[in-house]
Amino acid sequence: MSLACLAEGLRAGELSPREAVEAYLERIEELDGGLNAYITVRAEEALAEAAVLERAAERGPLWGVPVAVKDVIDVAGAPTTAASKILAGNVAPRDAAAVERLRRAGAIVLGKLNTHEFAYGATTTSPHFGPARNPWSPERICGGSSGGSGAAAAADLAAGTLGTDTAGSIRIPACFCGVSGLRPSTGRVSNRGVVPVSWTLDTVGPVARSAEDCALLLEAIAGHDPADPTTAAASVPAYSGLLDGGVEGLRVGLVESLTERADPRIAEAVRSAVAELGSLGARVGSAVVPLLDEVGTMNQLVMLPEAAQAHLPWLRTRLSDYGADVRARLLAGLLLPPTAYVTGQRARRWFYEGVRAVLDRFDLLVAPTMPILPPPIGEESVELRGERIPYRLALIPFNSPWSFAGLPAMSIPCGFVDGLPVGLALVGRRFDEATVLRTAHAFQQATDRHERRPALPAAAAR
Amino acid sequence: MNDAAPSLELLRSLAEQQGVSPADADLEAVLGFLRAILPALSELERRIPSGTPPAGLFLPDGEAP
Repeated sequence: MSLACLAEGLRAGELSPREAVEAYLERIEELDGGLNAYITVRAEEALAEAAVLERAAERGPLWGVPVAVKDVIDVAGAPTTAASKILAGNVAPRDAAAVERLRRAGAIVLGKLNTHEFAYGATTTSPHFGPARNPWSPERICGGSSGGSGAAAAADLAAGTLGTDTAGSIRIPACFCGVSGLRPSTGRVSNRGVVPVSWTLDTVGPVARSAEDCALLLEAIAGHDPADPTTAAASVPAYSGLLDGGVEGLRVGLVESLTERADPRIAEAVRSAVAELGSLGARVGSAVVPLLDEVGTMNQLVMLPEAAQAHLPWLRTRLSDYGADVRARLLAGLLLPPTAYVTGQRARRWFYEGVRAVLDRFDLLVAPTMPILPPPIGEESVELRGERIPYRLALIPFNSPWSFAGLPAMSIPCGFVDGLPVGLALVGRRFDEATVLRTAHAFQQATDRHERRPALPAAAAR
Repeated sequence: MNDAAPSLELLRSLAEQQGVSPADADLEAVLGFLRAILPALSELERRIPSGTPPAGLFLPDGEAP
């Protein structure tokens, strides 16, 4: 059941918040042993919170809806481990801003979801907490870093989830797990109470079953937070009320240079989805985005030094407690020449101006979210168009550009190859999440890709 | 920017100046990364239009609809 349907059923009294929580807890008990989507399950707390909500006079839009959040987002009284050894036993003293807002809307937090260690990688294979497994094929990765969010949304282990995205960490798992995930514009959602990777690039966002579900979650968590100076003062539309406008006349630009680089079967699924948007009334053209080959380097010049700065106290005292991949990335940030960071920030302005000019001609850009299918757990290189390349190099040009420019970017399922989901990336103008969500919703109203679910009991039974 | 990768000894010294003591294997990994990124960094420095100031912590938000 979608989050939207569940919220409606709860409001109509078809089930109680306690019954909803119990149903999800049973499902987690039954399936999560094979998926490892959760790091912490708050069973007793969630049931107690449901009982309190049932007596509450005020009923918000997410009243009684069980959700889960990535384990870099603080929930008062629960551990925030970031899937790391370093933060094991770190109990959050208060809720993150996004969690406060979810609770204000009436949601109940079921637990904390698996992530790449410190949200600093794209596989969600923490050496400390084990890999999150893809519900479509448990021997494959979920992507990352919000892999637990993707797995939980796909396996219906929560009605909706929150992830975080620095350079693709919401969109990659949404793509690999066949669900919908929206990275909002940088500054749209408060990062207070979230373990940082990069202050310039980080944002919290929803991962759920549909664009409608993402709209409901985003409108609950978005908005200026005086306690987070990186949040923008821009007004927050009621996204769920803007979903039904359709795409008639919308100017959609397909980024051909990315589509041509993807696995041909993925490229075909993406072109077919874009044609579907055309048949719904969108005016589809070809978009040329400058500097796509350079943006991976630009992104690293900003992200790596910021991550190293955020981790400096632990680099000094707990270096050997990091997993090897995260330690190497943090040390690289520490040892880049000092001027490299400023070059990266200059490049960010240069790149943004170029993308903004393209978005003067188009209302929305589209491309494959990922050029490959989810690789097997432990595989560090992938085959792409006859060439063997490192997994990280395959994903960077497809995801870094949009987050580096601070733009809203969403992945929705648009097809299947070999029984595994393919994602369509929708990229909007800064702070125009409404157009991204409206387009995704129009596509999902006209197609059924987002409704397909993995054969869970068989897939998860290990 | 000189795009030649620094020596392992220099990297160790730079890390230690910041209070961090990496193992040889860690520094070898960093060296591999620097060998790849430093030429790209030099190229970027050459190509960024002069007069382009750094972006701020977040981009101007005057474009909100």
